[in-house]
Amino acid sequence: MADASAVGKEYPPFQWEVERGKIRELVQAIGDKNPVYVDRVAAVKAGYQDTPASPTYITCPMMWTNILFTFVKDMKIDFAKVLHGEETYEYFQEIYPGDTLTGKMKIVGMEQKSGKAGNMDIVRLEIMYSNQKNEPVLKATTMVVERK
Amino acid sequence: MEKEIRFDDLNVGSEMSTLVKAPVDHMQLVKYSGASGDFNPLHTDPAVGKAVGIGQIAHGMLIMGFVGQAITDWVPKKFLKKLSVRFAGMTRPGDVVTVTGKVREKVAEGGLKKIVCDVQARNQKEEVLVSGFFEAVLP
Repeated sequence: MADASAVGKEYPPFQWEVERGKIRELVQAIGDKNPVYVDRVAAVKAGYQDTPASPTYITCPMMWTNILFTFVKDMKIDFAKVLHGEETYEYFQEIYPGDTLTGKMKIVGMEQKSGKAGNMDIVRLEIMYSNQKNEPVLKATTMVVERK
Repeated sequence: MEKEIRFDDLNVGSEMSTLVKAPVDHMQLVKYSGASGDFNPLHTDPAVGKAVGIGQIAHGMLIMGFVGQAITDWVPKKFLKKLSVRFAGMTRPGDVVTVTGKVREKVAEGGLKKIVCDVQARNQKEEVLVSGFFEAVLP
């Protein structure tokens, strides 16, 4: 159930090591053949330090670290009734293989809505990622809907 | 290397290069689950989709991945500053996803040349799967 008092709640930071192979796995699964994500020479030639993480790479730490499920359990959300509504990424710096990211998740919105499909809770989560130099690299905002 | 896109080359209404993806298939959903770590069986086990009553559907994030591919085929990743999408429809195995977009706004302020573009992914029936926008700072 939507608990407005949970807005602002912060979760303990989590770590994620960026691996070249994971960047490649993700673009291969997407079918994105852009060489900059997999070929270091092509990437450097295009002005990157190394093969940058692709635009939606940051979904990997969210899923593989189970941080999303930490939240779902904490808020007693029925995951079977959850739909992914929106996703927003703000890019501050490139993410490269060898980087160690620290993610800090917080709840930034929680509201109840009634629509023609019934009642629903709308939850917004923000994860701010910084790298090993403590520089912000990416902010991810996820909106999920729990149908009632 | 191809010539990089420039702010002055674009106008409001300029269209980005359209991306037409190969049909989504079961193997792609299995691969995407493994790569992303999203193992919701709704995406990989047709029996689960059937039991839930909506059938097997693709990960919304896979379609956002298609959108990211289309954008960075057109504008280099290093220029992309923001990508925001809303998941509007369900994608099923066999669907052919097309990503289109166009420039909504050009902003030049404080020495930064920014474009704001609307972007959409549709299936072969022209149903919208994902809609959103992105911002890029161009030379």
